[in-house]
Amino acid sequence: MEFGSIIKTAEETKVSIALAFPDVYEVGMSYLGFKILYHILNAQPGVAAERTYAPWVDMEAKMRENSLPLTSLETMKALNKFDFVGFTLQYELSYSNILNMLDLGGITMLATERTEDDPLVIAGGPCVFNPEPLADFIDFFIVGEGEEVMVEVMDLYKKWKNEGKPGGRKEFLERVVQIPGIYVPSFYKVDYLEKETQGIPAGCVKSVTTVNSLAPTAVQKRIINDLNTIDYPTKPIVPYGEIVHDRIMLEIFRGCSRGCRFCHAGMVYRPVRERKPEVLKKLARQLVDNTGYNEMSLVSLSTADYSCLEPLIHDLINEFKEEKVSVSLPSLRIDSFSVGLAKEVQAVRKSGLTFAPEAGSQHMRDVINKGVTKEDLMNAVGAAFENGWSQVKLYFMLGLPGETDEDILAIAELAKAVQGKYKEVTGKGGAKVTVSVASFVPKPYTPFQWVGQNRLEEINRKQMLLKDALKIKNITYQYHDSITSVIEGVFARGDRRLGKALYLAWQRGAKFDGWSEHFSYDRWVQAISDAGLDKDFYATRERAEAEVFPWEHIQPGVSRQFLWNEYEKSKTGTLTDDCRHGDCTGCGVCPALDAKIIDWKSSVL
Amino acid sequence: MKLRMQITKEAGIRFVSHLEYTRTIERAIRRAKLPVAYSEGFNPHIKFSLASALGVGITSQAEFVEIELAKEIDITVAVEKLTEALPMGIHIKAADVVGSKTPKLMAIASGADYYVRIPCFGDCLEQLQRFNSAESVLFQKPIPKGRGKTKEIQVKDFIKKVEYDYSNKELELRFACKITTTGSMKATELLKILRDQFSVPLILEQADIQRTDLYAVNDKGRKKMLIGN
Ligand code: SF4
Repeated sequence: MEFGSIIKTAEETKVSIALAFPDVYEVGMSYLGFKILYHILNAQPGVAAERTYAPWVDMEAKMRENSLPLTSLETMKALNKFDFVGFTLQYELSYSNILNMLDLGGITMLATERTEDDPLVIAGGPCVFNPEPLADFIDFFIVGEGEEVMVEVMDLYKKWKNEGKPGGRKEFLERVVQIPGIYVPSFYKVDYLEKETQGIPAGCVKSVTTVNSLAPTAVQKRIINDLNTIDYPTKPIVPYGEIVHDRIMLEIFRGCSRGCRFCHAGMVYRPVRERKPEVLKKLARQLVDNTGYNEMSLVSLSTADYSCLEPLIHDLINEFKEEKVSVSLPSLRIDSFSVGLAKEVQAVRKSGLTFAPEAGSQHMRDVINKGVTKEDLMNAVGAAFENGWSQVKLYFMLGLPGETDEDILAIAELAKAVQGKYKEVTGKGGAKVTVSVASFVPKPYTPFQWVGQNRLEEINRKQMLLKDALKIKNITYQYHDSITSVIEGVFARGDRRLGKALYLAWQRGAKFDGWSEHFSYDRWVQAISDAGLDKDFYATRERAEAEVFPWEHIQPGVSRQFLWNEYEKSKTGTLTDDCRHGDCTGCGVCPALDAKIIDWKSSVL
Repeated sequence: MKLRMQITKEAGIRFVSHLEYTRTIERAIRRAKLPVAYSEGFNPHIKFSLASALGVGITSQAEFVEIELAKEIDITVAVEKLTEALPMGIHIKAADVVGSKTPKLMAIASGADYYVRIPCFGDCLEQLQRFNSAESVLFQKPIPKGRGKTKEIQVKDFIKKVEYDYSNKELELRFACKITTTGSMKATELLKILRDQFSVPLILEQADIQRTDLYAVNDKGRKKMLIGN
């Protein structure tokens, strides 16, 4: 077992939970949320949290051949022997792996058919803000940040178990649903419109009603109001092998209020809450001592926005100079300040610098509220080139709302301008520019939740258009499979009827859909249509203003009105400011959650 | 000053690659906060090395690691600290301290002993006898990164004979394998030779291979322990 893993004896264990990541070990081990829960839960007396990952296909074949169940790593216990199995929902394309892991773990697939012998199957993570496609398979969801609520759930279970598990699973669900942040899908009934009503097409959600009086009409997300008060994993597991992010992850803040209109994380993780620099420095010291890593990444949704970033980086670099621990930044803002920081944390220099203008034309960047100009980008890359970099990677999205061919060609123009800047700064040509393009997938709880996703043919056409425009020396063009984004789009804004499609696709072999070699578009399209559903209804259809969405009884706190206003403003390219240092822009999160922005700028000055 | 240690690679981590094993030890050294020496340059790393790479899937009682220190330390304290910092599957079996000028372990390791337990589903004694008495056994050894290219080697230059014990469809083998500056042989290669050239009915995939010792050889052909003399 890896250094830092925790194994509790049967005597020590009152409640057991298998934390399940529906992808391979190397991927799953890199997720911070997963590390946090492992740590928080194991810190509880009587709670044993273990880990399990999706076995790769060759391993699965062997397990099935020899009838070996999927087990945890720590005690090699089959998943169906746990009290809880808790899945992390990071991306929609991992859903098929959840079903596969339930099956391999010997757990009854459908929540309604589970018996007292089955574990309680729970799930949480970013996708929980539309958990409906998984409603058939999950007993209850944890909405929002898990540190406190998971402990409450474990305590409740211990108590119920001590009493002799009165009333069975049903009673446990009735008790647990009374904890804020818990969503029990079987306690809700969804009705659909039978015919078109007031411009809203048939098949849309008519209403979501509770069928158990203990269930709240809407489940409000849980957050940690002040991150400085909670425990952070200072003894994370250090794997033997190399994982995707093989370094210390120091979470400096949660939330981001820049308000990019396509960004799911930016809307559902509000408000911004920073850790104090003093707290971070203390954590950093413990992490270095306990892990032996020689690299530390300062993670958050937009690290350059941390209010005390410069002094923090200085202090960390000084503190760890002797021990040769480097500090790295996962992302850069598009300005010379960020480039200056990147220069300071030398480790980044090995590779090129990465910036995310997201769109090529100013108009499109205003539509998505990116708030970055061409000049900003030129200043940033100019600073980079002056400081010796010669490689730049630029991230963009295709298929944004209202996008024209000119907007797409503007991506190529921008890439050329970056090359031109290199020439201007250094006097020579040859800057390597990588243009990486993803296709835009509208997500729930963003201002673009009403938008129709581009059709597959349209995205492919746009990709080719850009490809032709980028046939330029030293520019590399990378784009993602457009077919996966169609299915991602269906599930991102789907309803619980998709559970059937998911089940059919899994039965027909769907797994590891996030890995292009395993993803079969035809299988998914067939499964969706065999379930009596239409992929375009979910993905490409422009939705009506008054339409009831399948996810609205799960509440991240951002108000529908705010999202609609943002959508309206996007149509005219009107910008909305960041509320972090400026005025509240009325998204509704703070009053809804009785929370506030925590930013340490003022306290340090 | 160099700290040298004999450490293990036990069954639980047998599938950890050599690179991963090395990195794991490096992190343990950092956790133990030994006063290590760093390499110069842009990406400084701890100056330490392993005497010989071990194939994936093989366990070992005799891996040797050598760490360059920037300061003198008490060996007992160092061992204590490292023991605490090492993950499961790696234990310290012996340790000593030598001067910085002492030749690298990698340069003096010249032989390894192996112990193998492997399912064998039929007669094998006569074949093994034949291997032991053969003057010459040739093998096409794949060239590392050679894209399928091979080079012919004389097996008997590396492995003279095997000791064996066969009962209940399980064969136990013990043998010594020479390590030279130009190369050595893998235990798995010997098993393959026994199966393919000597018709020993082995199930290679189920071999349990352990390196039991790694040593130097003196002028008289005698085994010499790598550390602790
Ligand atoms: S409620 Fe206001 S201050 Fe709070 S996150 Fe929303 S916009 Fe910002």
